[in-house]
Parts: sequence; C-alpha cells; structure tokens
Amino acid sequence: MNKFTALLRKDIQISKNQLMIPLWIVAGFYLVILLISAISYFTGSFNLNLGNIQGSPSSDFLNYILNMALMGLPGMISLIFIIILTQSALNENIRNHSELFHRSQPVSIWYQSASKYLVGIAGNWVILSLIALFNFIVFAFIIASVDRFVISMAFLGTIQSLISFMKIGLIVGSLSFFVSAVFKDKAFLQGLAIIVGIQFLLIIINVIMQWHLPLPLSYLIKLINNSTPVGMKTILTNESLNIFIKETWMRILFNWKTLIQIAVSGLLFVVATIIYKNREIK
Amino acid sequence: MTGKSAIKTKNLNKYYGKLKALDNINLEIPQGRIIGLLGKNGAGKSTLMRCILGFLKHEGEIEILGKQIKRHKESTHQDIAFIPDVNSLDDRLTVRQTIDYVSALNISWNHEKAHTLLAASDLDPKQKVGNLSKGMKTKLYLLITLSLDVKILLLDEPTLGLDIVFRKEFFNMILGEYYDETKTIIISTHQVEEVEQILQDIIFIDKGKIILQEEIEKLKAKYSIYTVPAEKRAKLEEHKPRIINKTLGQTNAVLKSDISIESAQVVRPTLSDLFLEMVGGSSE
Repeated sequence: MNKFTALLRKDIQISKNQLMIPLWIVAGFYLVILLISAISYFTGSFNLNLGNIQGSPSSDFLNYILNMALMGLPGMISLIFIIILTQSALNENIRNHSELFHRSQPVSIWYQSASKYLVGIAGNWVILSLIALFNFIVFAFIIASVDRFVISMAFLGTIQSLISFMKIGLIVGSLSFFVSAVFKDKAFLQGLAIIVGIQFLLIIINVIMQWHLPLPLSYLIKLINNSTPVGMKTILTNESLNIFIKETWMRILFNWKTLIQIAVSGLLFVVATIIYKNREIK
Repeated sequence: MTGKSAIKTKNLNKYYGKLKALDNINLEIPQGRIIGLLGKNGAGKSTLMRCILGFLKHEGEIEILGKQIKRHKESTHQDIAFIPDVNSLDDRLTVRQTIDYVSALNISWNHEKAHTLLAASDLDPKQKVGNLSKGMKTKLYLLITLSLDVKILLLDEPTLGLDIVFRKEFFNMILGEYYDETKTIIISTHQVEEVEQILQDIIFIDKGKIILQEEIEKLKAKYSIYTVPAEKRAKLEEHKPRIINKTLGQTNAVLKSDISIESAQVVRPTLSDLFLEMVGGSSE
C-alpha cells in the first residue's frame, strides 16, 4: 500500500462518521415522507398529482426539473458538512494532541494535506453522489407511477444539480480548508468574521474617500454563484427545455469562471499547505 | 567519546518571543549510546528535542547522522523515531488502524516483530486508542516504535504519568527489544532516578543551557558523597557545595572525589545527587 493510500484510509477512518451524516439525514427525510405517505394511504387521503402544475408541463420538463430540485436539500446539507470537515482539516490534530504523532511519520506534508483536502471535499462529493443515485432511483419509481419516466431528462436534472453543488463545495471547502491552516478552532466562522470585517472597512473607506475598492465578500459570492434563475414558464416546452439544459451546461461547467474557480481552489490548497508546513509544532 | 555523531548541534538558540529557551547549545552525541537529557521542568529539554527534529524554528546548526537539518523534513523520520508523551497518539483510530497506518508509512517497519509484540501484549486491535488506559497507550506506542528499524530513538518524557510498573516495563522493553550498539537512544526526563540504571551518558540542561555532558561512570568517579557528623558541617562548607543535606545527626554533601576530609564517610553518589548538586532545586 503506498503512503498516500494509507493517509487517505486513515483520514477516511477518522472522518467516516461525519461523512455519513448527510446520508443519515436524507434517509431520515425519506423515512418521514414514507411514514406520512403510508398514513395518508391508509387513511384514504393519499393523492399524488404532478399534472396540476400551471401550464401543463411536459414529462421531459417534470423529469428534469424535479430531479434537479430533489438535489436541493442534500446539496445544502453536503455543503454544510464540507465546511464542517474542511474547517478542521489542518487544525484538528492540534486540538486532538496528536499533531506530533502524525508529523513524526516519514511522509510528505503535501501528501498529508492533500489527503485531508480530498477527504473533506471529495469525500462529501461521493456521499452526495450516492444520495443523488438513490434519489434518482426513488424518483424513477414515483414518476413512473404517475407520469412517464424519461431517463435522459431525469439524469440531466440530477447531474447538473450535482455538479453545481460540487462546484460550490469545491470553492467553499477550499476556503474553509485554507482557514483551517490559519485558525485552530472554529476556523470557518473566524475566517468569515475577518472577511466581513474587511468588507465593512472597505465599504466605509469607499464611502469616505469616494473610492471603488473591490469588496472581498462580494467577490466571493460572485465566485461561488453558479447560475442566474430563469423563469419556469420559459422552459415549459421541450424545445426551450433543451436550450435551457445547454445553457445550464455552459453556466455551470463550460466557462472561464469554472477555470477560475478551480484555480482559486488550487491556490487556496497550496497556500494552506505552505502555512501548515511552516507552522511550528510546540 | 568516539565514533560518528548521531546528533550534532552548533550555536543552537531558540527564542519564544523575548524568552531565550535554548542558549547557545553545542552538543555532539555519539552513535550507539544511551543518553539521558536531564533537567527540571521548563529547562528546555522538549524544546531541544523539537528543534532537533525541525519542529521548531531555531538559530544555529543541527546535524543528524551527518545531514543538516534546517527545518522539518519528513525524511528525518526515516532515521529517527520520536516518542513524546503517549497521549499524542490519535485517539480516534483503533489499535489496528494505528498499526496499519504507521506500518504503511514506514519502509523500515518490521511486520514480524510487530506481530510478535502485538501477540505478546494484551492490546485489543479493535479498541479505540482513546479508550485505552495510559499504560496500554504506552504499550501501543512502544509496539509501534520497536517495530521500526531506526537508528535514533528520541524519548521525550515518555513515562510521564505512568505508574512504576509501566515505567519499569517501558524501559526494560526499550533495552531488550530495541537497543544494540548501533543505535542511539536519547531520553529526556526530569525523573532522574528512573533512568539511572540504563544510561551510559548524561546531559544536564538548565535554563536552556547545557551545563554538563559526560559519561556517567566518569562523572560518578569525579564526585563523592562526603558524610560528617553535624557538628563538623564547617568542614563540608569549606569546599562550597551547592547543597548540604542533614540526616540523623549527620550532614553530607557532594564534593569532588580528589579532596580529603578527616573522619568523613565517602560513598559513590547517585545520579540524583549529582543532578541536585549541579542543577540545584528539586529533581522531583
């Protein structure tokens, strides 16, 4: 087993419980929905009707948009857990008093850092993907029972939503990973507080001096933000839906902003690792 | 002292803000010896060890087995195993996971030895490290360290907080399972009595300064404990010892062996006696 695999395995073993929480939360939601549905079914008030949406949407639209929407909650939960895991990536061993033990191993700090980064971000991606797969299967059964299951549209809805959240997770997780190298505890909140502080300071300076200095929080939001909402009515026909899907691909993946997002994430990882590498171990 | 140096420091200084934690340390530690780094709490023992490993930024030069150490390098740990306080193990891993993790990262890992040591111990591989007693954690740390074929072993207050049984077992295992004449062991402690029987050389450190580096046998030959009746205390005071002890109508002090005091009883000093004489204060 090579050293990086050993590090990954160790970091997964340590973070396993936290990584699994989104899965349990979503499973809990399903259980609640299942219970409510069962109660409604047995009391005779169960009525699932997806055909009442205004404008009589097509099956393609329903398959696409419902799968996309289904990823909303798991996506948000995943983001929260990416922050929770990455904000302690480079400082948890210090709080756990095991920093000396881990740093006394003959393995590159870059490997150690990369392993924590991967587990914190990609680990959550894997869990989110599993939830997406589960949603997809459950949705297939539900939609097939009330309308028509269009696998291509359902898949596109799921995958585009999944990629959107993965990208947001990459940026937010990288930022959170970076602050974990700077602060020892509650790193994300401390980092956010500093950014907000700088934001207010710059706003005041801009107002007083009549300058137009760029604002960090505004830049961050712009960097994280993937898409501009499009009115539902404009994508109700299959033709406009196809255009919308193509536009969504362009918006979430195939553009310069994606490259900038990846580059900024990479930069945050590198700077965080350099800070971590040069930190004294007392 | 002969042979190639295991560790060498030249003009080593370390500051914490304005506090000088290490003050111009010049050391040459030969290979194949068991060395005690003794000093009171806060004397600079841990700081010196962490500087040697590159964990702390410092001024001056450090060499390990002929290689210069300017800052922390992972390759250093291929030659050195380091045991700080046993609580530094990762509580979140199980015993098995800890062993697998360390074995995968260290090319010098001896699987056969690890297996034998694990079988001989009462460690439960499925148990979380966080649930182990301090004594069991020590056993695990020992198992890990003794399964590594490294040239230098640095022990920083390794038995702190352990009861006497585990402390004895710890040092017996280090001697029995690890030490041979090609390996160097440096033990930092303030519990002087603990290590007296196993050490070959001694380094006394106080307030960040090395005040003595010597072979124990030579050091013990240089000094003696002189005991005289209490009324003859002045005879001891003539030689200006740092400490004069009173015991049941008698007084004694550690003095150079080459002096002569009429009617004094002369015995060999222990390491504690020498430590107290040279460093002063409590050796705990």
